[in-house]
Amino acid sequence: MRPVNTLPTNQPQLMIESDPTRPGSRCVSIRNLGPDLMAFLRSCQETARLLQTMLRVRVIGVERPGDDDLPDVFGLHEVVETGVRFIPHFPFEPGVHFCAIFDPRQLDRPERSEVLTLEFSLPRDRRPTRTGVTRVFPSCDSLPENLLRFYVCFPNAMQRGGAQEHITLLGPDGRPAPDVLYSPPVELWDRSMRYLTILLDPGRIKRGVGPNRALGPPLKVGQEYTLAIGSGMVDSAGRRVESFYKSFRVTEAVREPILLRQWMMLTPSTKSHQPVELMFPRPLDWALLGQSVAMESEHGELIDGQISIDQGESRWSFTPQSHWASGPYRIRVARGLEDVCGNSLLGAFDRPLRSAADLAREVGGSDSISFYL
Amino acid sequence: MKKDEVSAVHTRREVLRFATVSAVGLALSGGGPAADPVTRGVGSPGALRSAGVLAFGPDDVLFVGDITSAAVHALALRTTDFTSQADVELGNFHNFEGRDLVQGLDQKLAALFGTTYDKIVVNDMALHQPSQQIFISVERGRSTDALPAIVKVNHGQLEVLDLEHIPHSQVGIPGEPDDKAMLEFDTQRSFAITDVKYYKGEIFVTGISNQRFSSTLHRIPYPFNAQMATCTVEIWHPVHGEFETRAPIIRQLIREVQGQPYLFAVYGCTPLVRFPLASLKDGAHVHGDVIGELGYGSNPLDMLTYTDPFDQKEYLLVTIDVRSASRIAMLDLATAKPEPTGGSIDFGPGGLGRTQRLLPIRAEHFAILNTKWAVEVQRHPKTGYRLDISSLAMPYFFERRDGMSEMNWPDGPDPFHYREHRNELSRGGA
Repeated sequence: MRPVNTLPTNQPQLMIESDPTRPGSRCVSIRNLGPDLMAFLRSCQETARLLQTMLRVRVIGVERPGDDDLPDVFGLHEVVETGVRFIPHFPFEPGVHFCAIFDPRQLDRPERSEVLTLEFSLPRDRRPTRTGVTRVFPSCDSLPENLLRFYVCFPNAMQRGGAQEHITLLGPDGRPAPDVLYSPPVELWDRSMRYLTILLDPGRIKRGVGPNRALGPPLKVGQEYTLAIGSGMVDSAGRRVESFYKSFRVTEAVREPILLRQWMMLTPSTKSHQPVELMFPRPLDWALLGQSVAMESEHGELIDGQISIDQGESRWSFTPQSHWASGPYRIRVARGLEDVCGNSLLGAFDRPLRSAADLAREVGGSDSISFYL
Repeated sequence: MKKDEVSAVHTRREVLRFATVSAVGLALSGGGPAADPVTRGVGSPGALRSAGVLAFGPDDVLFVGDITSAAVHALALRTTDFTSQADVELGNFHNFEGRDLVQGLDQKLAALFGTTYDKIVVNDMALHQPSQQIFISVERGRSTDALPAIVKVNHGQLEVLDLEHIPHSQVGIPGEPDDKAMLEFDTQRSFAITDVKYYKGEIFVTGISNQRFSSTLHRIPYPFNAQMATCTVEIWHPVHGEFETRAPIIRQLIREVQGQPYLFAVYGCTPLVRFPLASLKDGAHVHGDVIGELGYGSNPLDMLTYTDPFDQKEYLLVTIDVRSASRIAMLDLATAKPEPTGGSIDFGPGGLGRTQRLLPIRAEHFAILNTKWAVEVQRHPKTGYRLDISSLAMPYFFERRDGMSEMNWPDGPDPFHYREHRNELSRGGA
């Protein structure tokens, strides 16, 4: 790889090269230093400091804070065959402008006193300009007054930091409703950073707690609200989100545990590939439904198949990989499964007070629904 | 080196584009920064994948919360990893004038890590004693490609901690209790570690799940040892004598008051609570005694104690994002009657309000440096965007340089004798 306007080859050359330690990344080298200078560098005791002053990379084209200089890019210097290589600690970021500087004056060698600089930047990927929100859960357009959370799903990994500013709940008057959404100290992304959990303020949902006494519950029954996700939300490639709105009407609060006996089940025929279906009297939590309900054999082995959640998260179905053999089956439901208000199998979100003294930790464990084909 | 000082410079000003080559390079690595595996400086597998909350433990150990790995790391820092900051100028204590210890922290971190300031996230700050050196946890990048680093401040200069050579151990945060071989969505679940604190042989880890509204506190023995069991506690919050709800803890502090160890904590729904440490037993379902309220819409940022240099009393301080910080005398916290299981708490002048006072702190991160000074990471009030590390005089945490006062004029009134004390300077050692 040769830069344009090459100097005669017996002169030192500043170059951008592939980083041998990190595929796809770059490093900066100064080559053709000549045998005398190389011998000197190899024989030096305190090479690290010397190399740091001799070969430097700086970010350019940015504002300096006050009177201070910005530090050089941090990285590792190595003596290589005909020169010195600098490998940045973190890979050079595309789109940022850098200047590499070879400054041999501190070496005090007569044959090398010329300072060389090289400005460079790595190209950003060309990309379509926009991304969007794929879904928001709960998908229903009637939601209870004590709704606890939304999940906002994006097609690609997103950048953190935008939720407080760019995700708002608009009230019945179309204006942002103040103090309704909770800002956790760390945004609640999943590992792939494709879905974000937005909580409504638990301090306002919990009856009797300070914010609830001061401001009342976050939502008013009978009114319409809109969750607005603004274009300030940006994905990892820098694409902005198309604004997305989910409107819903508020119904009465739900403050009771999830009761398995209220579920309806549709069992398949033996030897078929039909799904087994569970239908719930009210929508359950989308993320937890995907995790908390499992199809098992009588002895607790997981059965291979495909789960689907639909009908506004009121139906869970399981389609087996192989056709159903006759015999006993069970569907295991973790007790921590919640509905959209945080009520679980164990109790309502605001549940009757119990003595703290002797209660064992009860989350853990599961209940089963058995059936026979 | 400033460019204009250089004499013989041969400058090549072409901006080199590597479209073809880098496209190939990216294709080989699987495309894009997210495919870059372990980065230099982070070392072997199992090392830091994200850098969140920080806390110092015994013997110069630095605990780092790593949400991506769902783990807490213990970095056993060596004496060579510290430089004493005792001679750093902190400001004029008598005149409530601090100093900017690092101006433009985010801009400098961006330069150090080869990026722009908007890609830099400062997650936490911890102070080491006795060196008084400031450590911060930083990430470059805001997505799944974020790269972590621990950076320390040395006389105003930023130095990156070389993690590769530091003896290191880590412990996984126990998974959610319903975690029994459920389904393939496991990678979707995350636990956002909100706080880590060390106390007498254990670390206390709190956090919020992105799914279940859970409230677990983990007590994990340190040194980390696979044999020793983690104690997991469910934290509940009683309300009105009728209800109880789960309550994730955002920040915690462990202190002995009148000879008994307590854990003080702030919930996500704003109450300030205390627990006798002894009640936090494995498998327990524990109610905290509510002893304060932070007010709606606010988020606690830091929680710490300090001794007021003027009245020599110890106070608990909670800094909050949208309101003034709150301070309460420690002694009152231990003796305060908790909210009875019914009724509302007395925050008026006759109750906790007697010593609860609001303080004008707007820091994003905050810590006590010594008996007279605190350190904060804040958005500079005049520009609003530049992130600075500054010193702040106790006990009022009031920065006189940020405001205008009549004492600024040579012939203005000076009832507090600022002009007499104008040339006094504190350094770190004081």
